[in-house]
Amino acid sequence: ERRFRSASGQPIALRRRQHSASCRELAVRCPRLQLRSLSAVTSAVWLAAYGLFALSENSMVLSAAIFITLLGLIIYLHFVKVEQESLLVIGSLGIQVTSSYASGKESTTFIEMGRVKDVVINEAIHMQKVIYYLCILLQDPGDPEGISEVVPLFQSSKPRLDCLIEVYKSCQEILEQRTAPRVE
Amino acid sequence: ENSPAPLPERAIYGFALFLGSWFGFMLYLIWAYVPETWLFSLGLTYWPQKYWAVALPVYLLVAIGIGYILLFGINMMSTAPLNSTHTITDSYAKKQQQKKLQEEAIPALRDIPISEVNRMFFLPEK
Repeated sequence: ERRFRSASGQPIALRRRQHSASCRELAVRCPRLQLRSLSAVTSAVWLAAYGLFALSENSMVLSAAIFITLLGLIIYLHFVKVEQESLLVIGSLGIQVTSSYASGKESTTFIEMGRVKDVVINEAIHMQKVIYYLCILLQDPGDPEGISEVVPLFQSSKPRLDCLIEVYKSCQEILEQRTAPRVE
Repeated sequence: ENSPAPLPERAIYGFALFLGSWFGFMLYLIWAYVPETWLFSLGLTYWPQKYWAVALPVYLLVAIGIGYILLFGINMMSTAPLNSTHTITDSYAKKQQQKKLQEEAIPALRDIPISEVNRMFFLPEK
């Protein structure tokens, strides 16, 4: 497991596992939810609610604030906070992309190898920055020259170029076996 | 020929604009500050309401401020999302023709596919 940095400076970790000659798994682990940011947000929301209560003398504001904080935390952990993003490349079969959320939910996408044209590092403008990101180029099975779709990977962890180059090299070693003639 | 050098005609245009803008500014100040009764006594009765002497500058400044935010927002909306093919290629690159390689000549300009570029940058030379 190697440590890298994400595009915003957070520490992330890359883990590579080779299951067989044509099967590799690359997993990027995002930093966990920090206690200090959680307590900062909770204190800010509760202070604002106490200020509203002091202005309006309505005690429902306080219970509403507690309810909102709990509900917001649950929604954040289940839908927003990604704990680990992994890429499983199986040589002749396809590519599987998995995102595991902090609440334990896992969402998986599988792309068969016939639809995969290439895995490349692309650079694009995102918000006010230019970032490198890894993406899978998909092709139509009937049109091998055109690119039908772009699937960006590692959207939540956003690794920097050094981590992306490692993942790119690992993927290319597997993808090259598609076109290289088999040497017995 | 077109050149940015000073010419007599340009000097005259500049001076006419200068006089015109000073006249407009003086007219605006008179309209805003001189009481209506004095203007009526002179016989000049057909003016817009003085409300607009304050409202128009305020409208202009708020429009400029919103314009900054609007331009920023339009730029962000026009940026291609990360999953669009416009970050990889476009209609001109798809239709480009392969030109024959001539010896001793500079190769023709073409759009190199992203897979090739990636291999050149990130895979070590064998």
